[in-house]
Amino acid sequence: MRSALLFAVLLTGLCSLAGADDKVQTDLYTVIDGTKVDADTYQGFRTWRAAACDRCHGANQEGLVGPALVESLKTLSRDDFKKTVTEGRLEKGMPSFSASKQVMDNLDHLYAYLKGRSDGAIKRAKVELLK
Amino acid sequence: MKIPIRLLSISLGLAAAVSGSAVANQELAKLSADPSNWAMQAGDFSNHRYSELKQVNAGNVSKLQVAWMFSTGVLRGHEGSPLVIGDTMYLHTPFPNNVFALDLETQKIKWKYAPKQDPAVIPQMCCDTVNRGLAYADGKVFLQQADSNLVALDAKSGKVVWSVKNGDPKVGAVNTNAPHVFKDKIITGISGGEWGVRGYLSAYDIKTGKMVWRGYSTGPDSEMLIDPNTTTTWTDGAVKAVGADSSLKTWKGDQWKIGGGTTWGWYSYDPDLNLVYYGSGNPSTWNPSQRPGDNKWSMSIWARDVDSGKVKWVYQMTPYDEWDFDGINEMILADINVGGQAKKVLVHFDRNGFGYTLDRTNGALLVAQKFDPAVNWATHVDMKSGRPQVVSKYSTAQNGADVNSKGICPAALGSKDQQPAAYSPKTKLFYVPTNHVCMDYEPFAVEYVAGQPYVGATLSMYPPPGEKNMGNFIAWDAGTGKIVWSKGERFSVWSGALATAGDVVFYGTLEGYLKAVDNNGKELWKFHTPSGIIGNVFTYQFKGKQYVGVFSGIGGWAGIGMAAGLEKDQDGLGAVGGYKELRDFTDLGGQLTIFTLPN
Repeated sequence: MRSALLFAVLLTGLCSLAGADDKVQTDLYTVIDGTKVDADTYQGFRTWRAAACDRCHGANQEGLVGPALVESLKTLSRDDFKKTVTEGRLEKGMPSFSASKQVMDNLDHLYAYLKGRSDGAIKRAKVELLK
Repeated sequence: MKIPIRLLSISLGLAAAVSGSAVANQELAKLSADPSNWAMQAGDFSNHRYSELKQVNAGNVSKLQVAWMFSTGVLRGHEGSPLVIGDTMYLHTPFPNNVFALDLETQKIKWKYAPKQDPAVIPQMCCDTVNRGLAYADGKVFLQQADSNLVALDAKSGKVVWSVKNGDPKVGAVNTNAPHVFKDKIITGISGGEWGVRGYLSAYDIKTGKMVWRGYSTGPDSEMLIDPNTTTTWTDGAVKAVGADSSLKTWKGDQWKIGGGTTWGWYSYDPDLNLVYYGSGNPSTWNPSQRPGDNKWSMSIWARDVDSGKVKWVYQMTPYDEWDFDGINEMILADINVGGQAKKVLVHFDRNGFGYTLDRTNGALLVAQKFDPAVNWATHVDMKSGRPQVVSKYSTAQNGADVNSKGICPAALGSKDQQPAAYSPKTKLFYVPTNHVCMDYEPFAVEYVAGQPYVGATLSMYPPPGEKNMGNFIAWDAGTGKIVWSKGERFSVWSGALATAGDVVFYGTLEGYLKAVDNNGKELWKFHTPSGIIGNVFTYQFKGKQYVGVFSGIGGWAGIGMAAGLEKDQDGLGAVGGYKELRDFTDLGGQLTIFTLPN
């Protein structure tokens, strides 16, 4: 019964959003309504979560012990981003993710997701897969 | 490979038991019996954090002033406290774990030890590089470094006497805990529950650094040093043998091998029972769907024989954890009345929000009550089974992966984390620094990769709905399980408390205040130190004067929890409100401040 109610609430939510159909498309990502993203960018989000980046950078990339990525990605180049994630900044507490296959395989997707957050195109940390 | 080590452990244990093992213990017991010293992190073996000194008392504490200060030269979170032995103070820093010996007369640095550690361990301590302090015995100062090396330093010169590797940092097994000397052994744990580290407690010989025993938190009986017939637990209203494979049968497949149960808290020791008490942490991962079962013996209170490591009894507080309620908080040993009877008890304020009183001779459950009224994830602890009765709405396992369970109290950092409580044998009350924080918790599937984070949940933390204070400093009656008084604090109280015979109780706040309250919780004095306090208050006497000291230096999970809190900001961009508020009060910076009364 509870799940039925939840479903109803979800449906209502979706319907009200569907009207907006706000689409942002760049060569990095596609975002609809600020929360639904293309498959590659979605992999970036999954990688962000799996690697527990939020423990230092905050659940919303707003920064905690680590810097706010919504800010950093405004200036950090794609190459520097990939270098930092791969090699880490050990003295500052940023790990090297070179041993993580998921992170290494999804560096570009992770960049796309975080860039989308930093650009403001992705309006919520948790995203859904665009169907 | 495991069997020879165990045989070796047993033979070494026997040898030690015969060859005057009590010497170091007697020395330490004597040192700690003199309130001039602060010879152990908790002041004594029982984790009381109580001093007989009363020169500073409720009548004059308002006159307390700064005697001297010392910069540690290190930023980040400063937990634990210095030690004082005679005319020398020994103090530690967060990573890189420098150690100083200070002359109390002149405050001159007698020696400094600066270990070289691989910076790769820094990110493995995510999210802060804390260290909870040193131990002293047998003319040696013991340092448990972040990189897992346990080092014995000559107390006179600071030279390394011996060093032993206690874990493998490559898989995330690092250290933050203080080592504890009980008898002729130095006992230490391991961190890394968020990296899938399988927890253990290890005992090393204080003279040589040779391992005497190691007991794991999970796995086969032989590796946990559990005897299925003689090791007991609280079951069905009685103390009963745990039976064979008590851990293995509560895990799916080989998950116990990466199943956590780490051991980074404060241990205690009862010389009469010859038992060491400590707690084990969360099962890995934070996504409960990946590890069905009770996940024994994560989240448990342990009693082990100091000489052999053999488990006398074990009690699991949070079977099948779904919230990251590590059971590592301090175990306080006291002799109090429970239900009108004098009992030798162990008192433990768990992350899960329940204050436990157990019979420490056999692990029988006596009292389990909420020490923060906000606790909502369980209605109560069933006294017969010892199991918390979980509220479905707040069960992240029942709600399932990829569902955000909202409004769970307490948050993952618990109604109390490692910040240790104090016990006054004078008032028979426990003085407890607490968190008053709730959370949303969304588990998700995560794959294990050695040396990579193994978390599997996204959390956000905030004060209980409609409330502003994120912490309370409380007095607790462990015989009845009742809050005697509660003093609200704006932020979590993340500093270890100190009770004294002078009827003054001290604690620090995240804004950076060191506060003194009387036995009724009335604030008598406060002083704003340079940074937020997550260290533990300590006291000593030198040349006839009593001194009270504390580390300041914001950091640890408290800083992070606070940063994440105050404003429920799931969707926001930019820094959350709480972080800005913290910045209004304090910034990083490690310093020791010592107070005394004017002449």
